[in-house]
Amino acid sequence: MEPNSFSKKFIFNEKIDSDYLYGLYADDYVYIEEVFATTLQHFDADFERLKAAWEEGNLHDLKKAAHKLKPTFGFAGLTAVQEQLKQFEDLCQNSTSTAQLKSDYTRIVTTLAESKDLIASEYQKLKVFNANPL
Amino acid sequence: MSWSCVIVEDLQVAADYLAKCCEKSGQVEVKAHFTNVAEALEYLNKHSVDILFLDVEMPGASGFELLDQLAYFPKVFLTTSKSEYAYDAFEYNVTDFLKKPFTFQRFQEALNKLTQSGGDNNISSTAADHIFIKSDGKLVRLNNDDILFIESMGDYVKFVTPDKKYITHNTIKNLEEKVNRQYFIKVHRSYIINITKIDDIRENDLYIKGHEIPVSKAHKQDVLKRLNIL
Repeated sequence: MEPNSFSKKFIFNEKIDSDYLYGLYADDYVYIEEVFATTLQHFDADFERLKAAWEEGNLHDLKKAAHKLKPTFGFAGLTAVQEQLKQFEDLCQNSTSTAQLKSDYTRIVTTLAESKDLIASEYQKLKVFNANPL
Repeated sequence: MSWSCVIVEDLQVAADYLAKCCEKSGQVEVKAHFTNVAEALEYLNKHSVDILFLDVEMPGASGFELLDQLAYFPKVFLTTSKSEYAYDAFEYNVTDFLKKPFTFQRFQEALNKLTQSGGDNNISSTAADHIFIKSDGKLVRLNNDDILFIESMGDYVKFVTPDKKYITHNTIKNLEEKVNRQYFIKVHRSYIINITKIDDIRENDLYIKGHEIPVSKAHKQDVLKRLNIL
């Protein structure tokens, strides 16, 4: 199903890869709203796990936390964040201590926090969109 | 619905999406969803399912560890976001490897592999020329042609070959659905035999390489029908 054939079209924030989202869910905006809601519901716990692993200097858990967060952003259409998490996961794999990753970690934590805000804002807009039958 | 499945996935959004794909396909019924291996294993060893959608990296044990401990072999679809597991996937003879997130079209292609490999909707190992069993902590390949018969031992079964016996956690009832019916037939509530290995039949017993195996009244006609009697 091509986006041009959708009966109504939601305009996603430019950071969200809408073509990718449509590839997954077509124009099932109610389901996309559900995906965003589920993502937001579980994000904090997964994010805290990443931060705890960093505080403990636990490279293995840091990699695992990044691995779990990675597809979360794919499902939300934030493919660039997904890719950034993949690179961070690879860095964890190839590093011997968390100290080597300080700047990458700071960058990823900032990206994740911003991405959560973005998903929250898109979720609110989608709720309004889906509530409007026209 | 053609197939039953269990989803083992710790990422909620991925599990929900997978369940939605199953529903949309109209072919797969989701029996249960688990977020860790221990709970999944407990369920799977009590309930037989056709398909297992399995994440690899989860809290605690990994998806591969689940496969190591599973007493039977449903068709396995690995769902992971890491392509590096492709080699292991091959080693475990998984049906397909779905990289998250995947499209519904990709999901459907994966399901199509079941019908292509198994013929019709038969996705058990019945079309295969071998089975793998877990015995003594390892996966052992047994060619159908090497198995003389399978005997029930309560919660375990014994696979008897000409030179060795293998004991594994399983039931005759479950195996009846899983073995290749071209070779195997149930002759008694406690026995499945390899039909090509029968030496002779006398009254209510049959003999395979010196082993005397009872044939129940309920199964005798089915056995006789399968023999090439002149």
